[in-house]
Amino acid sequence: MIKFSGVSLLYPQATRTVLDSLTCEIAEGEMVLVMGHTGSGKSSLLRLVNGLVPHHTGGILAGEIIVDGLSTRTLRPGELAGIVGIVGQNPIDGFVADTVEEEIAFGMESLNFAPELMRKRVEEALDQVGLAHLRDRTIATLSGGEQQRVAIASALVMHPKVLLLDEPTSALDPIAAEEILALLHRLVHDLSITVIIAEHRLERVIGYVDRILLIEEDGKSHLGLPEEILTMSNLVPPIVKLARALHLPDIGTSTRDVRRATTQFRESLPDVAAPVRAFGAPTVVAENVTVQYQAKIALSNASLTLHSGEITALMGRNGAGKSSLIRSIVGVQKVSAGKISVNGKSISEYSSVERAQLIGYVPQEPGDLLFRTSVAQECAAADIESHLSPGTTLALLHENISAIDPQTHPRDLSEGQRLALVLSIVLASQPALLILDEPTRGLDYEAKERLAVYLRAIADDSATTVLIATHDVELVAELADRTIFLADGDKVADGSTIDVLLASPAFAPQVAKVMSPRRWLTVGDVLKSQQLSSQ
Amino acid sequence: MKGNRTLVHPLTMWIFFIVLAIGVVASGNSLHALGAIFLAAVIVQFKGETGPWRRSFRWSLYAGLYLLAIRLFTSIVIGVPIPGTTIFTLPRLSLPSWLPGIRIGGPVTLERVSNSLQEAVIIAAVIALFGAANSVTSPHKLLRTLPAHVYQISVALTIATSIVPQFISSIARIREAQVLRNGLRPKLSSIAVPLLEESLTRSAHLAESMESRGYGLSRKRSKYRPFSFSIIDIYFLISAAIISSVMVLA
Repeated sequence: MIKFSGVSLLYPQATRTVLDSLTCEIAEGEMVLVMGHTGSGKSSLLRLVNGLVPHHTGGILAGEIIVDGLSTRTLRPGELAGIVGIVGQNPIDGFVADTVEEEIAFGMESLNFAPELMRKRVEEALDQVGLAHLRDRTIATLSGGEQQRVAIASALVMHPKVLLLDEPTSALDPIAAEEILALLHRLVHDLSITVIIAEHRLERVIGYVDRILLIEEDGKSHLGLPEEILTMSNLVPPIVKLARALHLPDIGTSTRDVRRATTQFRESLPDVAAPVRAFGAPTVVAENVTVQYQAKIALSNASLTLHSGEITALMGRNGAGKSSLIRSIVGVQKVSAGKISVNGKSISEYSSVERAQLIGYVPQEPGDLLFRTSVAQECAAADIESHLSPGTTLALLHENISAIDPQTHPRDLSEGQRLALVLSIVLASQPALLILDEPTRGLDYEAKERLAVYLRAIADDSATTVLIATHDVELVAELADRTIFLADGDKVADGSTIDVLLASPAFAPQVAKVMSPRRWLTVGDVLKSQQLSSQ
Repeated sequence: MKGNRTLVHPLTMWIFFIVLAIGVVASGNSLHALGAIFLAAVIVQFKGETGPWRRSFRWSLYAGLYLLAIRLFTSIVIGVPIPGTTIFTLPRLSLPSWLPGIRIGGPVTLERVSNSLQEAVIIAAVIALFGAANSVTSPHKLLRTLPAHVYQISVALTIATSIVPQFISSIARIREAQVLRNGLRPKLSSIAVPLLEESLTRSAHLAESMESRGYGLSRKRSKYRPFSFSIIDIYFLISAAIISSVMVLA
């Protein structure tokens, strides 16, 4: 279906080859995962398939890509619309019309399809993605998962043979992500559509894919069965890490396979007492907090206490009240009822300057805080703001990541580096409370691990209270001492991470699924138990 | 609302409200104006859009009330005296002699207040009718009725208007993040840079999405669910004409 012959790609003025002589073939009805570090060219590879690279973005391309017998060299992306459908990273950015039906019909309108045919096709597409009941809705009012499905339907309506998806689950909670992947799986198996996905969160997709295309940092790439590729890759999901750590002869990609291979460990290894961490005094105390926007209750009667040195994860679907809770804690959201105090004083009594010193807030888009022209300037500004001696913030950044050139423009940093920069800026004033909103979106496993280690050190060494709102179950399992779960404005669970995560199968991390009913969340937990038994 | 989609042509409701507005202005009667607002409210309630445009009627009412309040205030404090029943008298401010004909304070007469209130109600009614037209048929739908050769313009306008709410929420988000960073009011430039970068990325994504879906490839284009006039449209237009004539003649 898709044939790459000797494809190399580089962008003018870039120092690095994005792709280096890729030659491979992807068959009809295959589901292929493209993986690699952040910025390794996964998105470029997807865009090569429908000709957006180089027709739309520029770039120097050698070799040829043949899709369904047609070369992308001479055809514009629009001419391939009937063969290749693409769903971008943020579907909302790509929407043209107001309502679901009109959006789905947009491509066909542009290509002058007859109205009767369009009606029929839209109907099919709506049914395929299960959106028929939302057909008249305004797209802006839909949830993230629903918007993702609208984008998929808009591509499917052209009856494509290939569907390309760029990080389709990165903004979604685990349940919505599962639904999207199940939908793709069905398309592959029922309609024999070839699906190519670029994704960082391997734990979510690994069970669905037939083959993996790994792009290395020097542009070299390998296509192979998941087991083969994962054996050689250094980016691996927890389930493979577990197999490696336990020295299993084969690595499996499904919970079932690895469960079968690990029966003896589940039966023989001893329980390990959870490490008891001592936390300091309460930093944040929220009592019966209710947040209401006109008729809608965003948060109802929630109480919680965060202690110094404790890392708490805040989980729940989009719209469950996570942002409302965070915004009330930092004092930018007025609460309709209840009381929030930070360090013993009501949050509303602090001036905005005091509040900024007390609370470090890392927004979902770290770029929101960056507007100067170099890393050095951003750091210098942070020194002045927090009355520190010059160079403190930059030193803090280099403690975290040493390889950042201070003269780099903040926009040229990778996601992980940008997050590290914003963290250093925010932490320069040594806040008592650090809040991160969805920090792991777009991060690869290495960057994520670095973040986890760093946050743990912050919490332990300077007794900072850390609150993380996230959909990333694996990060929570690795890092959080405590997990709070919100659903539809109510706090439905609040307890130690192990208790909360194990209580719900949808939110259990991979290792816990493999090792159920034993109480292990991470590879580290299993290894600890193994060490204990070998002593 | 399904009926909304199939029953009336998008132009119908706009013509309906425009004819009504003309009637209100021509008749100059504030009771008629109030009646027209009430009629608009009923129509919005039962035939309004489901999306964010529905709210435009409510906003137009707020705008009307605001206007009313300002007009009332100025008519009491400043203005040309109209003789009649004095309700109360304000202390009169003496102005320098080079400002003749302007009076601040002085006796407030019933005639003066009711005159300006009437005027204000009529203007408010026109605003409300415009808001109602937006609430019942979103401007985007209206754009879809444009003929195919101005298609590009209508797509550009639709995108531009749907981006405005996104734009506003981005500004609020960036502002909030920066206030939380240092507690100071962010400068314009510090908001503008991230906003500009975000907008550019967004438009690049949008262009990519449109290009991959075949936008601009075919010179001709078809319409999904083409609109057509039906007997109901005629009822609406005739009733608008009747209501307006009655208002003017009465």
